[in-house]
Amino acid sequence: MPISLLFEQILNGIVLGSMYALMGGGLALIYGTMRILNFAHGEFFMLGGFFVFFLFAGAHITPFLAVPIAVLAAAAIAAGIQRSTLAILQRRDGWLFATIAATLGISIILQNVALLLWGERFQSVPYYIEGTLAVGDIRMAYQRLLILAVALCSLALVGLVLRYTRFGLAVRATAQDQEAAKVMGISTERINTATFAMGAGLAALAATMLAPLIAVNPWMGLPLLLKAFVVVVLGGLGSFKGAILGGILLGVIEAVGMSMTSAEWRDVISYSVLIAVIWLRPWGLFGVKER
Amino acid sequence: MLEVSGLNVKYGDAQVLWDMSIKVGAGEVVAVMGPNGSGKSTLLKAICGLVAIHSGQIKFEGKDISSMPAHNMTSIGMSLVLERRRLFPSMTVMENVMLGAYAKHARDKTKERLAWVEELFPIIRERRDQIASRMSGGEQQMVAIARGLMSGPRLLLMDEPFLGLSPKMVSAIVTLVQAINKRGIAVLFNEQNVQLSFGNAHRGYLLESGRVVLEGAGLEMLQNETVKRVYLGSH
Amino acid sequence: MFGAPTRTFSVNFALFLVALALFPVFVRDSYYLHVGILCMLFASFALSWHLVTGYGGLKTFGHQAFFGIGAYFSALVSIHFGISPWLLLLVAGIVAAILGLLIATPVLRIRSMPHVAIVTLSFAEIIRAVISNWRDVTRGELGLWGIRTFESFSLPLIGAVSFTSTDKVSFYYLMFLLFALVCFTVLAIMRSQYGLAIIAMRESENAADSLGVNVVKYKLFLFALSAFFVGVCGSFYAHYLLILTPSAVLHIEVIILVIAMTLVGGVGTFAGPIIGAFLLTILGEWLRGFGDYRMLIYGTMILLCVMFFPGGVAKLGSRLREFGGFSARVARR
Ligand SMILES: Nc1ncnc2c1ncn2[C@@H]1O[C@H](COP(=O)(O)OP(=O)(O)OP(=O)(O)O)[C@@H](O)[C@H]1O
Ligand SMILES: [Mg+2]
Repeated sequence: MPISLLFEQILNGIVLGSMYALMGGGLALIYGTMRILNFAHGEFFMLGGFFVFFLFAGAHITPFLAVPIAVLAAAAIAAGIQRSTLAILQRRDGWLFATIAATLGISIILQNVALLLWGERFQSVPYYIEGTLAVGDIRMAYQRLLILAVALCSLALVGLVLRYTRFGLAVRATAQDQEAAKVMGISTERINTATFAMGAGLAALAATMLAPLIAVNPWMGLPLLLKAFVVVVLGGLGSFKGAILGGILLGVIEAVGMSMTSAEWRDVISYSVLIAVIWLRPWGLFGVKER
Repeated sequence: MLEVSGLNVKYGDAQVLWDMSIKVGAGEVVAVMGPNGSGKSTLLKAICGLVAIHSGQIKFEGKDISSMPAHNMTSIGMSLVLERRRLFPSMTVMENVMLGAYAKHARDKTKERLAWVEELFPIIRERRDQIASRMSGGEQQMVAIARGLMSGPRLLLMDEPFLGLSPKMVSAIVTLVQAINKRGIAVLFNEQNVQLSFGNAHRGYLLESGRVVLEGAGLEMLQNETVKRVYLGSH
Repeated sequence: MFGAPTRTFSVNFALFLVALALFPVFVRDSYYLHVGILCMLFASFALSWHLVTGYGGLKTFGHQAFFGIGAYFSALVSIHFGISPWLLLLVAGIVAAILGLLIATPVLRIRSMPHVAIVTLSFAEIIRAVISNWRDVTRGELGLWGIRTFESFSLPLIGAVSFTSTDKVSFYYLMFLLFALVCFTVLAIMRSQYGLAIIAMRESENAADSLGVNVVKYKLFLFALSAFFVGVCGSFYAHYLLILTPSAVLHIEVIILVIAMTLVGGVGTFAGPIIGAFLLTILGEWLRGFGDYRMLIYGTMILLCVMFFPGGVAKLGSRLREFGGFSARVARR
């Protein structure tokens, strides 16, 4: 294979990986803060996809507005759901499994509500920008570069918020010790809701960016959810930074693996990587051993 | 300033505190002593709203706070130092201390408080960027108390502040608690050791299986025959 | 707890089995027999899953892998090597059990529930992806057909026992025997030394630790046994329905259905998975006309049960004392 093609593949892997990073980052944020494994994460992705389809492809609202509105709407729905179900469950004993089961139920409900409301047709969203960048033999659609840029900027923004703001401090405190955080005067319930919404928002953002490349449909979340699971295990469950690195790494591994086999073996490649990691470093590639 | 009356607390079906009544006056140091599992921690957590109370009343400065959520406690002038310090392990010393001033009302006075706390606990300035979990137990306890003071409480609650510390560290913390109390801050603390608890308090309570079995002035408690026999092992 | 089952439990359970055994005597309609077969099939699946999840405390989300492996292995071997489905019923179970050991080994090294969930689910996804991509052999989503069914034989008193698509009675009794086997094995395990160790595991991970390395062995044993039964169920499914697709036997919806059944029936009880499997299978058939709403209803039931009826129907029943000892509640979860 010519080296430029391989390079192009890797670049594509990084672009897709940045989407995995968005999904995984959101999942990690939620798990890290409230120890909930969110099986409904794929459905918040799906909601983002549908919202941007209606706003941009349907109502022709500029992506500059359509994307933020779609993301905020999905985040608001997530907040409502967290408040009315997960927050209540977490006050009870044995919530660890109860919350997993609840998000599983929520996932199926959202999927099927979407199916009833919007049908099973696969909807396509046009590119936000047309054209292709060519450098030598390497070609890359502007849309893909846009995806990468948006993903990296938004992840960096979330990282900075977590690192430097009061809100971020409160999120980190809640993640490390909910009881001690309460004693500090932090309303951990509110932080949990906000974090859940933020995580879901990242998933929705990934969908708004990917929508032009994949079809929007009620089941579009499941494959991405499974990838996000792989990503958070690679990165160390609950680690935001780890999820970002894990996402990009997974994208590249898939791209390289696919160029050696074929596209349909992509999933097998990524799940095998996951099983291998679990065997060798169960606490993740980048995390430190704990628990 | 703190008045607990007829407090009952249950975990599920198991009742842990029975009809408990406790008082802390302004400027007082009060010790609660009891063996493992007697309900000391539960008492403090119930006062702060970390565990729900089944019945009874908790009043702080005349206000009923029985059903106030835990995160509002710092803003009414109360602060709790949890058992085993419970610093945020992967944050720096400074981040931990600053979280003590998280409550809205405490934010404006952060600077002055920090100066005061740093004067009491010089270690905070020396180690400000160290990761909390890499400090020794005694150092962590210092940071935990400092963090508890950052919200400017009028009543400081401490759950076994001497747990697992060397004698030297214990006396250092005793001195600090006295200094804090001199500033007019009332202190309510738990302790399993008779000397450490009643020896360092104006008044004391003795707990057994979730009930107050004895109360009185600190020195009186030390002299009490039952206390002597059961907890000091003398005849 | 397990040592002495209440008499009401034994009586109720015996009545239940007798009723199941007599069902084909009164009902000859092959559709109802088919529903009965599905009920027992899913009840066996749910009981086996619950053996690992409810009792063993390992929350796995990948048991559809064993179902799919059992089904595809059995179907392919019967097609290509002409081996009798009767033998394959057993062999498929063993293959699934070996696979179960393979995945349980890394899973048991990790404590955290989310990791276990993710790893088992990913494992099942690998199996699904391989089977749907390996089109030369499995025909992928087009579906595998031409599967042999069970050979007929004749019994001294009863006469010829034939397995044809028009006559469901033989299939019904075969499934009934498998279901009874699963039930009695689960009961026997719960009443054995293993049972006590298993309860110790569930009650407290630390208490289990102090029991030492045996706990790992028990969990491995449980996992393998559970995979074995699910593999046998898969094999039966293949030789009963005679057509397989990856999405029918290996999709995540399969395990979601089993989870829904167990939650609705009641986690931590013997009767729970059985009650849930019967309820949801019958409900699912009843709702067949409303195809679009089926999954929505399952999802809603999962959420409602978790939120409002954490003990499921079994607990509700024992509360009302209607099921008496039948729900044989073990201990607080
Ligand atoms: N979250 C909980 N759920 C159920 N029971 C609890 C819980 N926390 C404490 N208990 C029980 O309540 C009783 C009192 O516990 P508590 O922690 O208040 O005792 P303590 O006096 O602080 O003991 P120690 O000296 O060991 O800190 C104990 O029997 C304990 O087992
Ligand atoms: Mg205590």
